[in-house]
Amino acid sequence: MELEVKREKLVFRFGAQKFEWNIEPRYWRNPLIYVGLLIVLPILAYFFYPTLLPTLIDANLLAAIAIPLSWMTLGTGRMNFGPQFYIGAGGYAAALCSIHLHWPPQVTLLAALIVGLFFGLLMSPLAILSGGLYYTLLTLLFPLVFLEITFIYTDIFRGEVGLSGIAPLINVGSFTLNQLIIGLGALLMMLLYMFIVDKVMRSRFSTSLAAINDDEEVAAAMGVNVNKMKIISFTIPAVMIAVVGWFYAHYYGTFAGVTYLPLTFMLKVLMVNMIGGRVQIYGNVVGGYFIAFLELLLIQVIGDYSPVLFPIILLILLLTLPEGLFGLYRKRHYREYLPTLHVRR
Amino acid sequence: MNEILKASNLSKHFGGLMAIDDVSFSIYEGETLGLMGPNGAGKTTLVNLITGKYFTDTGSIQFMGKDITRMAPYKRCKLGISRTYQIPRPFPELTALSSVIVSALYGKDRSNQSLDDAGYEATHYLEFCGLFSKRNVLCKDLTLYELRGLELARALATTPKLIFVDEVMAGLNPAEATKAVRLLERAKEEFGVTILWIEHVMAALMKAANRVVVLHYGKKIAEGLPQEIANDPLVIECYLGSCHV
Ligand SMILES: Nc1ncnc2c1ncn2[C@@H]1O[C@H](COP(=O)(O)OP(=O)(O)O)[C@@H](O)[C@H]1O
Ligand SMILES: [Mg+2]
Repeated sequence: MELEVKREKLVFRFGAQKFEWNIEPRYWRNPLIYVGLLIVLPILAYFFYPTLLPTLIDANLLAAIAIPLSWMTLGTGRMNFGPQFYIGAGGYAAALCSIHLHWPPQVTLLAALIVGLFFGLLMSPLAILSGGLYYTLLTLLFPLVFLEITFIYTDIFRGEVGLSGIAPLINVGSFTLNQLIIGLGALLMMLLYMFIVDKVMRSRFSTSLAAINDDEEVAAAMGVNVNKMKIISFTIPAVMIAVVGWFYAHYYGTFAGVTYLPLTFMLKVLMVNMIGGRVQIYGNVVGGYFIAFLELLLIQVIGDYSPVLFPIILLILLLTLPEGLFGLYRKRHYREYLPTLHVRR
Repeated sequence: MNEILKASNLSKHFGGLMAIDDVSFSIYEGETLGLMGPNGAGKTTLVNLITGKYFTDTGSIQFMGKDITRMAPYKRCKLGISRTYQIPRPFPELTALSSVIVSALYGKDRSNQSLDDAGYEATHYLEFCGLFSKRNVLCKDLTLYELRGLELARALATTPKLIFVDEVMAGLNPAEATKAVRLLERAKEEFGVTILWIEHVMAALMKAANRVVVLHYGKKIAEGLPQEIANDPLVIECYLGSCHV
């Protein structure tokens, strides 16, 4: 038995038999490799370092928010600074239904979907009516208004304390095993989102999104139904993000607006987007893991990450890497990836 | 000859400025109609009215017997009206090919056209405009001449019946301008499109156009065969700059 690594070949001899693998760059781009890696990670953590599991769950959920957000950003041609609004909507819908109606998680998912769809449709005209900067400011405002509402109607939303007693996603008896299953579930959701958005980005749909992102007026002159596309690419991602809210609610068993609705959480999501490159869906996974581990590191080193630090990092990223980490790669390989964002002001 | 477009009594004002003032004209199938006028005469605004960027204040627009006065721009495109821009407006972050694909996919309702199909089709238009070798270049990296070609490829890819060409020659050197003009003539032969050709230099239109309409300060001051226009004292006066209509 013999293993030999040549320059572009991996040769494996077993007795008289010989197996060869070509090592070509395009093989390394096979998504299955990375999916496999992501699946192995929580399993390894489960056996060797269970305290890492929450961080992995967090990473996947952050990526699961950032991926639809990329679609939304591309398809509306504007930066949405309020994705956490839908987390709040989905989360509260799930929490309230679970606590008051005693619905199991599968049923509250439906409630989160409906509430997400409702608010998504309700707000989607914003993407048509308001220009880039106003849109950004308005989307920034909505989560904060929502936060105020959770404080005003304390008897419903339980303000600062949050709702508790939400049915858990899964309970098999062992805490770490629960976490492993939830971790794999979060990964599955993230991969599903990735799959959906990737399909969209590779379909005929994507060229119109890219055109809208670059120049709405010209896109319309070339026959693209800009308003329809914008409504679709606002509403569906909003629903997808609302489902992440549902996941948060059932995962923690408690749900408080103060955790998700303030600017600090938004900054985290935006940084995930920034690090990956704003409309690079694969980059979002890198960004999600990067931020989750950075947070872990900061908590271990400084004790608690300072709310000042993240905005500073975000600012530095904005200035140095306008297209994110993926942008560096894309500069040389732009044919293979669809457009980056051109933010309208 | 069939009337393909009939614009009656169009007006458009921006604040106090009457950019278009009670303009009526028709375009007939298969012709090249020249639209002439000094800078700021309202030529581009007229195109914007017909393609739907702005709605007209008064009057109506008929395209192939259909009233399109209040129709959304994308629907007009699907009906067969297309345009190029005076200052090229490419999709900066898309490659030349993918920006033509957008037109090929959405310019007309074709059921079950895949992205690949649209790609093949777009390639044809790119090649026609001499941009095949630039297909994978981002639009923001193209030169002005190439962008003009791309504008035309994009407009043709929507399979229009009527195409508005807004000052193809502006900013090009004489050799490039000649090539651009020849390209338009070939487009007309090959795709059978009707062209409304805007230019503010007289000489070019005199050769290419079948008929010419002259705008001045938003008003139509003359319409007729190129020869008549060239000898029209009012038009000559306007071009010499001493005309007050
Ligand atoms: N969106 C606009 N807002 C205000 N004024 C405009 C606008 N578009 C065009 N105009 C004005 O209308 C007039 C006609 O412009 P335009 O149609 O571009 O002229 P041309 O294409 O013949 O050079 C100009 O005086 C211009 O300043
Ligand atoms: Mg003009």
